[in-house]
Amino acid sequence: MKRDMGTQSGSATVWRVAATSVRGAGHVRADQVCQDAHAFTLLSNGVLVAAVADGAGSVAMSEIGSALAAETAVTAIATAGTLPSVTDREGWKALLTDALRLAQIRLETEAEQRAVDLNALATTLLLAVAIPEATAVMQVGDGAIVVGDADGSTRALTFPLHGEYANTTVFLTSPDALETAQFGLHPPATYLALFSDGLQRIALDMATGTPFAPFFSPLFRFVAGEPEVAAAQTQLTSFLSSPRVQERSDDDITLVLAARLSGQEV
Amino acid sequence: MAETGRLEDAVEFFSNPEPRCPCVLLLDVSDSMRGQPLAELNAGLHTFREQLVRDPVASKRVDVAVITFGTVVQVVQNFIPITRFVPPTLTTQGYTHMGAGILLALQQLQSYKKALRELEMDYFRPHVFMITDGEPRDEPEHVLERARKQLEAEERSKGVLFFAIAVEGADLERLRKLVVRDPIDLKGRSFQEMIDYLSKSVSALSQSRFVEDAQQPMPPPGTI
Repeated sequence: MKRDMGTQSGSATVWRVAATSVRGAGHVRADQVCQDAHAFTLLSNGVLVAAVADGAGSVAMSEIGSALAAETAVTAIATAGTLPSVTDREGWKALLTDALRLAQIRLETEAEQRAVDLNALATTLLLAVAIPEATAVMQVGDGAIVVGDADGSTRALTFPLHGEYANTTVFLTSPDALETAQFGLHPPATYLALFSDGLQRIALDMATGTPFAPFFSPLFRFVAGEPEVAAAQTQLTSFLSSPRVQERSDDDITLVLAARLSGQEV
Repeated sequence: MAETGRLEDAVEFFSNPEPRCPCVLLLDVSDSMRGQPLAELNAGLHTFREQLVRDPVASKRVDVAVITFGTVVQVVQNFIPITRFVPPTLTTQGYTHMGAGILLALQQLQSYKKALRELEMDYFRPHVFMITDGEPRDEPEHVLERARKQLEAEERSKGVLFFAIAVEGADLERLRKLVVRDPIDLKGRSFQEMIDYLSKSVSALSQSRFVEDAQQPMPPPGTI
């Protein structure tokens, strides 16, 4: 489920966004649906809200959980009213935590209605709110949020954390999901990327959690240079479905890319 | 307008080492396996390897070890990437020292996990598949009790996923008293079916992600 509302106008800052979720080679082979989902929206005053969710591959119906979680979290921020000031770290943390809690409640309601175990809707959730003065992020589970600047530098705001085993992670449906969530309030960035675990092994040095700049820089330039949202999404989907990517990642892949434009670039 | 071709040409990929997916085959080679069953098991090890090597993900991640139990319990093959695994030709010998076999499997896993940690390699939760056509025999009760307790502790601390696969002749009731997870009943099925089930399970395990605290049941035979 996605909300692709295009580039915004009528404000000083404009975001260009390209976002897609593609089925991994493993899910294509097994004839399973894409269990990843994303959602984003552009608010007035140059605010971008984006979410990525990755349904747990080992359980049924996780594609429902991921879509509901991403959509609910984005809507929660979009309808929250006045955003906290850039110095109010606790205010931002509370805002994002509330959005994740609403997503949890949405999943609990859905599980009840469908009379299934909550774990059947298990999903990760990555949420980013970018305002002209700051970038706030929160993440439950794996995947990562990376930002870049015009000088080509990149840095990770969240990391794909896991316990002893690389194939276990925390999901939004886990009891301690919100307590263990990663949160950060960072300076504004020119570029933003949110992605699911299907991409992390080719986009990050997993040992250190460092973004691989030669991976991100061309993608950031691409989204900044493509004014048509639909065209950008088509090209991104085609790239992520290409054999070069698919042979390196068996899992579903979701990537939300955003580039902040200003002044004469618009 | 940017071209997709340009994206494909421009984006470079980081190459991380694949996480390891340790898998122990704990095999009953007691005298009751003599003849046809052992011949089928030996052939089955080749099929197991071939099926996993064909899987694009499992082939890169699965490390297999083979431990046998008769009267003697031994590591026939220590952990090795599946692509480099040369299936051994097993021979039958003696009674069914299943408890000692379980203890050796758990011990091998402990030291392999320690080695992976020292190498800073990521790894998945390990699994053991114990294939038996019988029940513990001629083994001191205290050894069996120690195996049962240690396995229970390892399962509780999520140190291992231990699956007992019962083939023709196995005593399911006795197995249930020894292992935590309900044994997988493949009695009355061919070894070929058993091996097929085994390699499909390992393929699935090598690419699945687990809900941290949920029980992880194996899919019943015939569903994968």
